[in-house]
Amino acid sequence: MKDPLRRTKVVLRHLPPSLGQADLLAQIDDRFRNRYNWFSFRPGKSSHKHQRYSRAYIDFKNPEDVFEFAEFFDGHVFVNEKGTQLKAIVEYSPSQRVPKPCSKRDGR
Amino acid sequence: PERPARVSKVRPPLHQYIRKLLFTDLDKSSIEHVLRQLRKLPWNECEPYILKCFMKVHKGKYAQIHLIASLTAGLSRYHDEFAVAVVDEVLEEIRVGLELNDYGMQQRRIAHMRFLGELYNYEHVDSSVIFETLHLILVFGHDTAEQDALDPPEDSFRIRMVITLLQTCGHYFDRGSSKRKLDRFLMHFQRYILSKGVLPLDIEFDLQDLFAELRPNVTRYSSIEEVDAALVELEEHEHTTSDKTSSEKHSD
Repeated sequence: MKDPLRRTKVVLRHLPPSLGQADLLAQIDDRFRNRYNWFSFRPGKSSHKHQRYSRAYIDFKNPEDVFEFAEFFDGHVFVNEKGTQLKAIVEYSPSQRVPKPCSKRDGR
Repeated sequence: PERPARVSKVRPPLHQYIRKLLFTDLDKSSIEHVLRQLRKLPWNECEPYILKCFMKVHKGKYAQIHLIASLTAGLSRYHDEFAVAVVDEVLEEIRVGLELNDYGMQQRRIAHMRFLGELYNYEHVDSSVIFETLHLILVFGHDTAEQDALDPPEDSFRIRMVITLLQTCGHYFDRGSSKRKLDRFLMHFQRYILSKGVLPLDIEFDLQDLFAELRPNVTRYSSIEEVDAALVELEEHEHTTSDKTSSEKHSD
């Protein structure tokens, strides 16, 4: 197992399905701009049948920043138009892999 | 009663093509061709949809799940971010499955366990992810108010999940630290099994097969007290040899 103190990739779960990448980044970048190497957003979906929360992955440059970020964002409450509250969860991402910066260009 | 005819979903041609490749054409002999065709697609435009289709492993044949893992590995050479996304997505699916414990999702949850195991076999997740997932399955939602909804006492579905994952990749945990981790996990697993009382016969037989394959000489404990005693013994043993193991850990 990777030493917890060296883990840098976190997942933000239970974000509102309607939340977009720009809205989320606006909340994060004030404090954490330039402190992460990689960010990946997975939009959610709100239909009657299946609701899926939005999600995001962030790979911080320093393991210590994870603690500060979790303190800042874990349990962050989003309120939608109807007044329903949703609490965001911040956790270490179960897989700590991040994309290698220079994948080969596909010559196809 | 009059009602409008059901409107069937109209998919854009590219999506139709991706579905044809993955759900119709893909088999052992065509995989090279499918991989090449996927690589030729306008990647940025198609990636989210391909990811979506990869998560539908339960729609195809169970025996073909390794082909999707193989495609993931093939695509990672050029699109590593895609392979990373596949892994993250599967792990998320497994987690959501535990959170909802929806009976209607069982088939796809089993397929996702198999998929995760195959991603390990294709070296796209490491063993620590497998073991963390295994342990998560045993404990998720326990000691909370929702335990009875998330893991009802008579429900043996989580045992089925563990069996599926270990059937897929457990045979690789046969040496070094991953061997020890599996031995240890199997003790916790036995404890979990005993907490369920009498199992349905099909599960019991699959368990016997699994143990016979992975650890033919393992003791099957007959009571929780026995497992607990064995676990205490294991802890003590590990404590005395911890110097040795901690130096080994860094070389994993």
